Amino acid sequence: MSTLLEMTGVRKRYGGVQALDGADLTAVGGEVHALLGPNGSGKSTLDKTLAGTVVPDSGEIRIDGEAARIGGPRDAHALGVAAVHQQLSIVGDLTVTQNVVLGLEPVRRWGFLDHRAARDRAAAALERFAAAFSGRLPLDRPAGTLGPGEQQIVEVAKALAREPRVLVLDEATASLHKEQVEVLFEVVRELRAAGVLVLFTSHRLDEVFALCDRATVLRNGRTVGTVELAATGEDELVRLMVGDLPHPADLAVAPPPAGAGAAVLEVRGLTTDRLRDVSFTVRGGEVLGLGGLQGQGQSELLLALFGAARITAGEALLDGEPLPLTSPARAARAGIALVPGDRGRQGMFASRPIQENLSLASMHRRALGRFALRASSERRAARTMVDRLQIKLGSPADPVSTLSGGNQQKVVIGKWLLDQPRVVLLDDPTKGVDVGAKEEIYAIVRALADDGAIVVLNSSDNRELAELSDRVLVLFEGAVAEELAAAAVTENRLVSSALRLAPGESL
Amino acid sequence: MSAPTVEAPRRVLSWRPGPVALAGAIAVALVIAGELVSPGFAGYGQLVNLMRVAAFLGVIAIGQTIVIIAGGGGVDLSVGKVATFAAIIGSRVMAGDDGDLVPAVALALAVAAAIGLVNGLGVTLLRIPPFVMTLGMIGVVQGLILAYTGGQASGRAAPALTSLVNGRLIFDLPGLLFLWAALGLLAVWLLRRTTFGWNLFAVGANRTAAELSGVRADRTLIVAYVLSATFAGLGGILLLGYTESVFLDLADQYMLPSVAAVVIGGTMLAGGIGGYAGTAVGAIVLTVLQGLLTTLDIGGAGRTVVNGVVLLVLLSLYGRQRRLRS
Amino acid sequence: MNVLREIRLPGVQLSGTATVAMLVAAVVVNSALQPNFWSAYALTSNFATFVPLVAIAVGQTIVVLSGGIDLSLGAQVTLSAVAAVQLLDGRLDRLPLAVAAALGVGLACGALNGLVVALLRLQPIVATFATSFVFSGLALVVLPTPGGSVPIEVTTVYRDAVLGVPVALLAILGLALLWWVLRRHRVLRHVYAVGGDPEAAYASLVPVARTRVLAYVLGGLFAALAALAVLANTGSGDPFVGNELTLASVAAVVLGGTALAGGRGGAGGSILGAIVLALVTNIVFFADVPTTYRQLVNGAVIILALALAGIPALQKRRPAA
Repeated sequence: MSTLLEMTGVRKRYGGVQALDGADLTAVGGEVHALLGPNGSGKSTLDKTLAGTVVPDSGEIRIDGEAARIGGPRDAHALGVAAVHQQLSIVGDLTVTQNVVLGLEPVRRWGFLDHRAARDRAAAALERFAAAFSGRLPLDRPAGTLGPGEQQIVEVAKALAREPRVLVLDEATASLHKEQVEVLFEVVRELRAAGVLVLFTSHRLDEVFALCDRATVLRNGRTVGTVELAATGEDELVRLMVGDLPHPADLAVAPPPAGAGAAVLEVRGLTTDRLRDVSFTVRGGEVLGLGGLQGQGQSELLLALFGAARITAGEALLDGEPLPLTSPARAARAGIALVPGDRGRQGMFASRPIQENLSLASMHRRALGRFALRASSERRAARTMVDRLQIKLGSPADPVSTLSGGNQQKVVIGKWLLDQPRVVLLDDPTKGVDVGAKEEIYAIVRALADDGAIVVLNSSDNRELAELSDRVLVLFEGAVAEELAAAAVTENRLVSSALRLAPGESL
Repeated sequence: MSAPTVEAPRRVLSWRPGPVALAGAIAVALVIAGELVSPGFAGYGQLVNLMRVAAFLGVIAIGQTIVIIAGGGGVDLSVGKVATFAAIIGSRVMAGDDGDLVPAVALALAVAAAIGLVNGLGVTLLRIPPFVMTLGMIGVVQGLILAYTGGQASGRAAPALTSLVNGRLIFDLPGLLFLWAALGLLAVWLLRRTTFGWNLFAVGANRTAAELSGVRADRTLIVAYVLSATFAGLGGILLLGYTESVFLDLADQYMLPSVAAVVIGGTMLAGGIGGYAGTAVGAIVLTVLQGLLTTLDIGGAGRTVVNGVVLLVLLSLYGRQRRLRS
Repeated sequence: MNVLREIRLPGVQLSGTATVAMLVAAVVVNSALQPNFWSAYALTSNFATFVPLVAIAVGQTIVVLSGGIDLSLGAQVTLSAVAAVQLLDGRLDRLPLAVAAALGVGLACGALNGLVVALLRLQPIVATFATSFVFSGLALVVLPTPGGSVPIEVTTVYRDAVLGVPVALLAILGLALLWWVLRRHRVLRHVYAVGGDPEAAYASLVPVARTRVLAYVLGGLFAALAALAVLANTGSGDPFVGNELTLASVAAVVLGGTALAGGRGGAGGSILGAIVLALVTNIVFFADVPTTYRQLVNGAVIILALALAGIPALQKRRPAA
């Protein structure tokens, strides 16, 4: 069969992060081609360059051998590409029908909408999924009132209604029930038979093996290989994804100092929209890891402990004292620090000087009457952190956005260290950080624990979790699914623990 | 690893004029243009006069700067009306008597601050967009003015206030300019050397990150609106000292220029970037521009159009939003 | 508290029940206070004063639905009105020309706003604030002081009735009909999509920039219709007539249950909201509120209206996502 899609040397940089660093992909019509890789390997970005919502910095895309310029979703549509992204393109206030035909509404004369034709088209696209809606198609309901799985189906139907030659499914099964997945797979197989190329991304390996013909594996924005799935074992695929660097499995972890004086954080039955009855205890000097597939409530748990999420039940005690979980300001006053997961949106003030970024959380301690700042003591405080964390900068007066990703993250961490917190919550602190800075951040985390702080660490990088954590809680759908004690915390164990928790199997 | 390395001084090499320098250059250029069109425009007395007119705008725009730095679409359209109201209250209470100057100013500023508090509460607790909230406040304050005066302003400035504002001190400069300088320094100190100022910039630059750094964003915003109204009230009092008697729309026309001065001075409407020095220069630029337009015999309507166009042009230079496509 | 919520215009809407309840209350109070409220004369003259606000509220609704806001609508009304009245010069034969001029001015103003917002990507609130000064300055250039005259035939017809139905009421029904027709057009569908979720709309092939421009152009069209109603109602031109209308239009939109964040609501509610606001002005007048307090009460009512949408009990319950 001839090559339908060829992407070569695709690069894309977001601020300090090289999301794609020369990715390649070649696929033929009539195949289901998996796109695999660990968190942050660039799968979604590659999908988006094909769909036109991201324009790559460089690289070539050929369709049917013809060089294609995809400058926006309209170009992609003209080339026969339709996509279902992780972030849905459903407009919640429009009805299902309106969503399915959105952008390509059938019209009569003068641009007036043809409601009947729209309904017919939506019904035709959704008909195959009738089973997933227990028989009744919700054509006239606002899409926002549907469950997450149903919305995902609508999104798929919308892509199908565009009659694509190339269909991108990026985590399209993430919120589907088992039966809904079966229906989707049936449809994908039909499309394959009709000669459509389906690019399929999923973190559920069983789905990949059940559905796909070949797989292209990405790591750190680069293609590491394409394999025939029929001839590839699961272990082999995992190794390709994770890489076969030697793993420091026997990292000597000192047992947590359980002696008197160590602080204790006790979390009981914590429940929010996205957390279910989470309980655990962690002591000063200990690093508690949070593992599992990403998006299973790890970030939410850290935000909840910092008073930044609405808590419906449960409590947290620090040394027996209930923590105020109602606002970040009160949590900070109680000695808690959060290094949030989205550095750009939640952690730093890109346009403000490094100096201010470092001072912000602790300056009231040094200010006269908590109000009047002294330039000299602020400078001194910032200098302490710059030295201690080895932040590489030009001048503390430069905007923090001039720093590399790793140094930006050190500024966010340093902001809290100046406040001398007793509990440090870290949400994926090395995401988008280069290797050297990663090691430095690891050293900071260890030093924090050695100094007696309680550290709770979420990480999308299992190697990092294995290296830093004394214990790991594996979360699934907002609940603690498994607790791995020190000896059991290895990368392979973490990966399999996370992947084995496919829906329907456990819980 | 060794001590932090200092990078090459690339900032010196790639130096580009900041907004403050740029605005200053525009002011100078406008003065020169004025002198060319109408000799005498740049005379000492004439310049001092322009600076005096700029001072009222400059003081009112202190609060506007603070609110705009706070971000989130922050802006205070009610500053002109609040300044008018403060002058009206001050005039009536002091009624030309030095003995009542202090209570009159205190009452006027307290009322202004209370109006600012309502603005702040509406914007934070009720989440009314600042433009809409403060635009609505104009109507309310206008109503308060009518209710308070019955449609007829009364009283007059205390002589002490008038001599403070108009009296000549060193270099034949009016006291007003020294007051403006003092208030300007206060504003700069507040923004750059207090926890409030740093919290304000943090909230404006990234509200979510500010809250996640333990900053009480709502409280900071409320204080910003209170300060805005208070500085507006102060501007109104100074204007009263200058005009000696009030009328019902004394300071109303400062609404648009106060926003324009801030924008010209390089403070970003998106929040989190800027400062008062730029605003002060911006106030001078606008005043010189008005003087020039007057010299060219362009009427009030034409000046309004020019003001609007100037604001649009500056916005398109500084204030773009991001694209949908990345 | 959830600090991760998006910092943007409020996404809340007043429920339809709240809007209708306010309308009923306003009608009841008004009919108790205004003598002969239900008489043909009072109804005709009431409806005659409602039309401009109703028209501009429909225009503001369309802009708000697209995710924007237009603070220059009042100035557009002024500019359209003074342009038309200057051309009209009291002559009936010039009426078509004047109507065309008003519409042309409104559409041009809307197009300018749309281009500034969609293509220069300026924040709508500030950009339209700036253009409002351009428009009102131009209005002063066209007509420096109140004046000009509208042919008596126009004002007479406007205050007449057809088969017992006031012409002004017909005008309101006409505006509602125009909205009903627009709702069935692709452009309005795209306006809802862009206001609801611009990124999703962009990924779904909706021409986002063009839709935004068209929303402002439609806003300008309704501003021009409001200008014609103003002229027919007052019989002369006034370079300040639109000043009060901008804020009232935003308040009417909020009272009518359209979310200021965009994407949710409709002009039907805004028409009711505009009538509520106009009735409140009536009530203040007939309740013997001293003249000097009227503006305070009206201003406070508008602020309260804006605040109402912030009260959870009155909000439309959003379906769970």
